[in-house]
Amino acid sequence: MDCIITIDIGTTAVKVSAFGMKSQLLGIRKGGYPTFHPKPEHSEQDPEQVFLTVLYALKNLLNDEIRTAKHRVTAIGFTASMHSVLAVSRQGVPLSNAMIWADNRAQREATELKQSALGKIIYDATGTPIHPMSPLAKIAWWARHDPSLFGRAHKFISIKEYVLFQLTGEYLIDHSMASSTGLFNIHRLAWEPQALAFAGINTDQLSEPVSVFHQSTQLKKQYVQLLGLAANTPLMVGGNDGCLATFGAGVIEEGAATLTIGSSGAMRVAGKRILQDDQQRFFNYLLTEGHYISGGPTNSGGVVFEWFSQQFGTSSNHLEYEIATEHLLKEAENVQAGAEGLLFLPYILGERAPLWNANARGVYFGVNINHERRHFARATVEGIAFEMYSIGKLLQKYRSIDTIYVNGAYASMPFWAQLLSDVFGKTVYINDNHNSASLGAALLVLTNIGAYGSLTEAAKTVTSHETYYPNTVAHSGYAPLFDIFERLSHKLTDEFDAIAALQEKN
Amino acid sequence: MNGLKPNDKLIPNTRLKELAEFPHLFELTTQKNTLVRLDNFGKNQAAGLRLFCVTEGRFDWQIDNQRQWVYPGDVALVCPWQWFGNPKDMLEIGTFHVLTILPDRFDEHALTLGPWSGISESEQRLMGRILALNSQGILNDFREVQPIIQQLFRELGQLEFGYKTRVNQLLDELLITLMRKLTRQQNQRRDFPQVFQKLEQLLREDLEHPWTVEEMSAIVGLGSTAFTEKVKAFSGFSPLNYLINIRISEAIKLMKSTNKSLTDIALEMGFYSSQHFSTTFKKLTGYTPGQYRKRVEE
Repeated sequence: MDCIITIDIGTTAVKVSAFGMKSQLLGIRKGGYPTFHPKPEHSEQDPEQVFLTVLYALKNLLNDEIRTAKHRVTAIGFTASMHSVLAVSRQGVPLSNAMIWADNRAQREATELKQSALGKIIYDATGTPIHPMSPLAKIAWWARHDPSLFGRAHKFISIKEYVLFQLTGEYLIDHSMASSTGLFNIHRLAWEPQALAFAGINTDQLSEPVSVFHQSTQLKKQYVQLLGLAANTPLMVGGNDGCLATFGAGVIEEGAATLTIGSSGAMRVAGKRILQDDQQRFFNYLLTEGHYISGGPTNSGGVVFEWFSQQFGTSSNHLEYEIATEHLLKEAENVQAGAEGLLFLPYILGERAPLWNANARGVYFGVNINHERRHFARATVEGIAFEMYSIGKLLQKYRSIDTIYVNGAYASMPFWAQLLSDVFGKTVYINDNHNSASLGAALLVLTNIGAYGSLTEAAKTVTSHETYYPNTVAHSGYAPLFDIFERLSHKLTDEFDAIAALQEKN
Repeated sequence: MNGLKPNDKLIPNTRLKELAEFPHLFELTTQKNTLVRLDNFGKNQAAGLRLFCVTEGRFDWQIDNQRQWVYPGDVALVCPWQWFGNPKDMLEIGTFHVLTILPDRFDEHALTLGPWSGISESEQRLMGRILALNSQGILNDFREVQPIIQQLFRELGQLEFGYKTRVNQLLDELLITLMRKLTRQQNQRRDFPQVFQKLEQLLREDLEHPWTVEEMSAIVGLGSTAFTEKVKAFSGFSPLNYLINIRISEAIKLMKSTNKSLTDIALEMGFYSSQHFSTTFKKLTGYTPGQYRKRVEE
């Protein structure tokens, strides 16, 4: 049987999946790699280790499942996390580790640009919020802080481009990945000169932008042999994992949204036009021409509950962390909606959308003598859901959202999915395939080779059998709490600044 | 840390004469302090592995930079390279046991307990490594220690048949209990990804070392079966395959950025021969190390 392969290069691991021609999953292998934090605010990955891991997972999947079942690989498609960047020499040798999206060292470069008139122009042209996460700010940081590396840099590329370069010897970037660099004009589909000028680079130092459907047939012969693939197996560049996770959840038209809570979170909508927000609170990334994925990212995802669990879940009884987390979630589930008036602002890592305030901090509000640990556990989950809702509320100013598809390790837990449904007052679906970025990449490949007539047709094949309907009583109970949540988040701006300044001194 | 002597001024009590037969058990005393004493408990370094096990009162103790109140049930564990004592030279009211083990060799790079111990050589090395990495010092609520110390006192007081063997067994028992507590306390509040990240850091600091699964799992405080399962679920690799992946990616970086010979790189990365390196490299990357280096130079 014919099959296709997708390679999804995520933040903690690569997932290599095989799909049949009807996008049915045939097999999956993953391989993990670390993130290094050599200094506070630095988050790096080793491109060599990522590449080796891609090879390892791919080889194992091909050997164990594809060849034994006598499947024939007709195409391979890629997707990857956004915003990673590394510099390579003329020989293609990495000059350093890659900075990944979580790397915040370019805080000052981003803030300066955001406060300038140029910042607004660049945001409007590129669709990427001016933020230390973007390669635009990161390259500017290198120019300023590591002139030696900057001077030797032949090109600045993402981890995905490095993997493709290793496999084929070509430097290619798809429009979708390019649209998340802060350097690419999403209206003209070309590198944006003003952004490049700010970063201090020229177009030769970036890969050639191509459509997400672009295929390379240059797989090096050593890899053809190592992997046992046909010599001309096409490698399709694919897109960024934010866009493809939305597409892979079945969302390609207006009216629906995806909500992701993994360790961080995001809420996204699809449309034919970008969202014009004067306050630059949304990203607008490109899936393919005429298909934009817009939305807001949050720092306050599952990582916030993990923090809570580490601090308060294990201290009394010597439980293992995972078991302690389960206990806490059960405790939380048994507290009524609204945690008896205990409210939590989850900004322990500062916040991106919709506040875009790096100084925001966590707050438990309304604590009274009857509140127990279980109330705190519930309030913590509800605080994360309120934060998602505040993004969703803002999105609804621009787009109607009737249904929500949730994914990510946390949002797809039944307790969380129901709670999100109640907070939003909307029906929530959990997709059958939890790796929606991989599925999105597969749908893209399958559309490209003609298995589907269009992206819309492909998106319709995505299934979700788990459905959660909003409890109207709970929903109306959340409204006044959310009102306080929103007011506090804005009211405390001065106090957030003051306490963040104090914390920085320590 | 060479030249350090065991500290015998700290506790002026006499050394039990029964200890003469146990040169490696330098000290075993109970210190009962009924008056606050000044100029008595200043920070110091001393040879041996020292244990201070509090049974009454509370003490303001500091190990290197970490200072905290120590209560009954808590145990201070001090290595020869660490500074230990009260920041104001003061000894508060209370009671604690002091036990000092003098290994044949004990510094940040090696631990050899001596012929008295039944713990295997490789586990002794591992113990040394865990102690060198340990940054916490005070082990809170560690109640398993006191019964072992009391049994030691009993054996040394009664000198019944087989007491020599029993004393040495109890010391081994104490060390094993200590190691398990140490690795568990360090990792208990972390989820597995964090535990794994810490381990990965250690592996990278010493890729030349012939790491075994037993060592890796002991460091994170798990049995090797559970450890292997967790690593597989988390990373998709078996522990040894994960290690090989790190070794090869580090080797690639050295090949690209230095002129070191392939043999040197192989050994530095913990491969036992350049042949072993070459075979592994080809299996993972599709190239021999020689071809790979040439490809970059072109």
